[in-house]
Amino acid sequence: MSKKPRRILFLLLSLTLLVAMALPGMVTAQDPTQITFWHAMSGSRAEVVQAIVDSFNEANPDVNLVAEFTGSYAETLTKALTAFSAGEAPNIVQVYEVGTRTMLDSGAIVPVMEVSGGALDQSQFVQPILNYYAIDDELRCMPFNSSTAMLYYNKDMFEAAGLDPEKPPATFSELYEMGQQIIEAGVAPNVISFGWPAWILEQMFAMHDQILANEDNGRAGLATETYWNSEFGVKVLTEWQKWAQDGILFYGGREYSANDPFIAGEFAMLAQSTSSLGGIQNAVEFELGTAFLPTLDGYERNGNNVVGGGCLWTMSGKSDAEYDAVWRFYQHLSAVEQDIFWHKGTGYFPATNAAVEALEAEGWFEENPNFRTAFDQILAGNDTIAARGVLLGDFVIIRDVVGAAIEDAVVNGVDPQEALDTATEESNQILEDYASLIE
Amino acid sequence: MSAVSASTSETVVTYEGRWRRRLYPIVMHAVMLTAVFLVTFPLIYALILSTQDSGIGSLRPGTAIVENFRGAWARAEMALLIRNTLVVALAVAFGKIMLSIMGAYALIYFRVRGGMILLAVVMLTHLLPLPVRIVPTYDLLTELGWVDTFKGLTIPFFASATGLLLFQQFFRTVPTDLADAARVDGAGPFRFLISILIPVSRTNIGALFLIEFVYMWNQYLWPLIVANSVRTRQVQIGIKQLVATDAVIEWGILTAGAITVIVPPLIVLLVLQRSLMSGLSSSTEDF
Amino acid sequence: MNTVFPNRILPYLLLAPSVILVLVFFIYPAAQSVELSLYRVNRVRDVQVYVGLENFQRLFESDNYINSLTVSAKFTVAVVAAALTISLALAVGASLPIRGFGIYRTLLIWTYALSPAIAGVIWALLTDPAIGLLTDVFNAVGINFNWRQGKDDALIFLIMAATWKILGYDILFFLAGLKNIPHEVLEAAALDGANSWTRFWRMVLPLLRPTILFLLIMNTLYASFETFGLIDITTQGGPGRATSLLIYELYQDGFKSSSRIGLASAQSLVLLGIVATLTFIQYRFISRRTFYQ
Repeated sequence: MSKKPRRILFLLLSLTLLVAMALPGMVTAQDPTQITFWHAMSGSRAEVVQAIVDSFNEANPDVNLVAEFTGSYAETLTKALTAFSAGEAPNIVQVYEVGTRTMLDSGAIVPVMEVSGGALDQSQFVQPILNYYAIDDELRCMPFNSSTAMLYYNKDMFEAAGLDPEKPPATFSELYEMGQQIIEAGVAPNVISFGWPAWILEQMFAMHDQILANEDNGRAGLATETYWNSEFGVKVLTEWQKWAQDGILFYGGREYSANDPFIAGEFAMLAQSTSSLGGIQNAVEFELGTAFLPTLDGYERNGNNVVGGGCLWTMSGKSDAEYDAVWRFYQHLSAVEQDIFWHKGTGYFPATNAAVEALEAEGWFEENPNFRTAFDQILAGNDTIAARGVLLGDFVIIRDVVGAAIEDAVVNGVDPQEALDTATEESNQILEDYASLIE
Repeated sequence: MSAVSASTSETVVTYEGRWRRRLYPIVMHAVMLTAVFLVTFPLIYALILSTQDSGIGSLRPGTAIVENFRGAWARAEMALLIRNTLVVALAVAFGKIMLSIMGAYALIYFRVRGGMILLAVVMLTHLLPLPVRIVPTYDLLTELGWVDTFKGLTIPFFASATGLLLFQQFFRTVPTDLADAARVDGAGPFRFLISILIPVSRTNIGALFLIEFVYMWNQYLWPLIVANSVRTRQVQIGIKQLVATDAVIEWGILTAGAITVIVPPLIVLLVLQRSLMSGLSSSTEDF
Repeated sequence: MNTVFPNRILPYLLLAPSVILVLVFFIYPAAQSVELSLYRVNRVRDVQVYVGLENFQRLFESDNYINSLTVSAKFTVAVVAAALTISLALAVGASLPIRGFGIYRTLLIWTYALSPAIAGVIWALLTDPAIGLLTDVFNAVGINFNWRQGKDDALIFLIMAATWKILGYDILFFLAGLKNIPHEVLEAAALDGANSWTRFWRMVLPLLRPTILFLLIMNTLYASFETFGLIDITTQGGPGRATSLLIYELYQDGFKSSSRIGLASAQSLVLLGIVATLTFIQYRFISRRTFYQ
């Protein structure tokens, strides 16, 4: 008698197990559409990206968006393009502004207008973003994280040096003088450092309405000549070299490595992307101020700061269901709520006009003036060709070339004219190579 | 003069000689201890820092060790990366050992026409380290669809000149009676290989395992370009991502991550170093 | 040599995987490298233009490349010299037949488990301006060391990290080689004085020649190729081009640009030529002397 019930129990259990395994398959009508998103948002920004992705997936259960951090901007771009050659491209890839020309010429993308089936309303985006990313007045990629460079400064140090903490330097000479005061007062051993030095140089050109390349800064056609070694460029680099020699400029490496010592209080100012604002604000123990980048004496701020950060490109060769999912994600991203969330979490400026209005309405900018600075800086400029920024093929390498020239001048004491001449020569050679393979 | 006194220590023992004989070992111990300390100190410092709240940087160990390790593991997805790297390191180690033994076995115990040529071809690989062929190999992977796969991370490394040479030299030293006896017993080639030859080669297998495991665990350039997603990412790239952050470098977390990554190869080294030493002592003679 | 088994096909089957893999992943790509070096290529757009030897010509006319060659030469020589000297001294020390010395043999080889990248992280920590211990030591003797700020400092930094990492490997091989030294020689050196040391070196160095040759070659390969991770995780070729080693330039051109792949291939061939020549020279130099002595 004891055997039979046991056998029945066993059968019941197996049946339950079978049903349990089959149930999931029976419940979901169809597998969610898988789409992948490769990005270069490191550190705290990655968490914000993930939160946005999570909220999208929750709201869209028939889609599964997987976001991957694939390294630095340069690495992400390379991987995406080579993955495309291998037929393994992601659906969406975040490419920095420097990769714009390369993406456009790659033959690997679908313009965002097409992805949206014409439904994308360009006017929702703030003008400076349109100015940078629209080619022939049409956006090719989906704006996401736009930034520009601004000046961060340590208000406490300014006070300690006897400077007015509400009056950051507006010109290079003012910066130099204030710098000397800071050093003499023994407040800090150095005064300023840069994040992305080559980008800051580009900012200088654009701010002062100085053209960087032929073919209308590479926007009317493929650029083949650059003007890094123009009189203006040499002047800027000469100033920076002087700063370095007099202990004012502390060269902090490329990309973001200057952030760390700034937070640690080793110098008073930092020229860096607004995208670091979220992270820096949370980390500093002093009062943080932000300001426009100072201008070069003898020149007017006739142009504008360049939009940096990145844009989302849609890769070609995918299924319709995937493109539909991608478009829905884009819409999710540009919704006011997400845009605001992204801005508040990182410091990238809000991409849509609606978000800007909402933020203003809730008084966010009043309470957090630092988050407004970069934005104000961009709105305060003029829309000229130079101000729109330069589009160069193989810009990734050219950035490195320019970065190396800056390092040579600032760290290794090379003559700025020489350093920039070399950089210009190399850049032109690179552009020539690039162009010869496009035609 | 002191040499003389040492060899005739029983008879003419000068005061100097005895002193020297006592003092010398102590001095040498001190010297060697200092050397070991100097070589190891950087690691110790890293270890100390991994216990501190980031930004302190003193010699006193702190109490933040758990947070730091947890932070490093979370941020770099260390568990997944370790799994990925284990897969690659073990696969290549075993793959190389297998292929090397098979190849050396074929060359030594069989008649292979053009065997020397084949060996030379494989030896060529020594002259072609990865950087020399990296771009086309990557293109090849692209064509095969092996980018961002474990296949792409492992199979290109399976063939090895080192391994083949190592086992070839070793098999030559194995006494022929062993093989003869096996044949007499009616054992086929596989039986001989598996039941006799491989057990005998234990030390060399251990040596090669250590070499290949450490080599693959520490790979950087290849995983950098081949492993795109976190599914295949390797530990060294994970460390790079801990370094390349846009905010403060948190040394506590960074060192915790670095130490995590050092531990597995260190363990393998500890366990197998004797095999490596024996394997080396016998082969460098013939070099 | 001792042909034992009569199977005809089996050996070829056993060798096949190795040979196939070598053909596919070594020979074929190497041949491709040669071909690619004669073209200008845009990988993404699948376009290529034949340019003959122009890539090579451009390399040798480029200040950048000449700089890269110089930097690599300095780096390699420094690392190999430092690593071999230090490791030989330590290995000899650890091989002395003094009671309790066995433990040193185990303790000194641990850096073998390190990767160049991690070595870089640890040395970046040691020399960090804010919390580096070495920084304090340097400051105490009046040296202001900052590898982000000085091009010589950057190269020295890399040399130190690279040498430190390879010590374990070199010591390991020297220890193995020293096992063949007659016990009496080591004993004499352990017990006596300066006299035996000179005799010791005269006896030991020739015996170690094969090991030294081997390590010379392996360390050259290491300094030239395997230090990529170290550079990428710290200086990235900078400041300026102060640490732009050949392998790093190759990576930049091959993987960060879309139209310099041909140039990168040319670079890889030049690199091959250099290393092959060095290996050959080292081999002849040391082998010949072994033979005549």
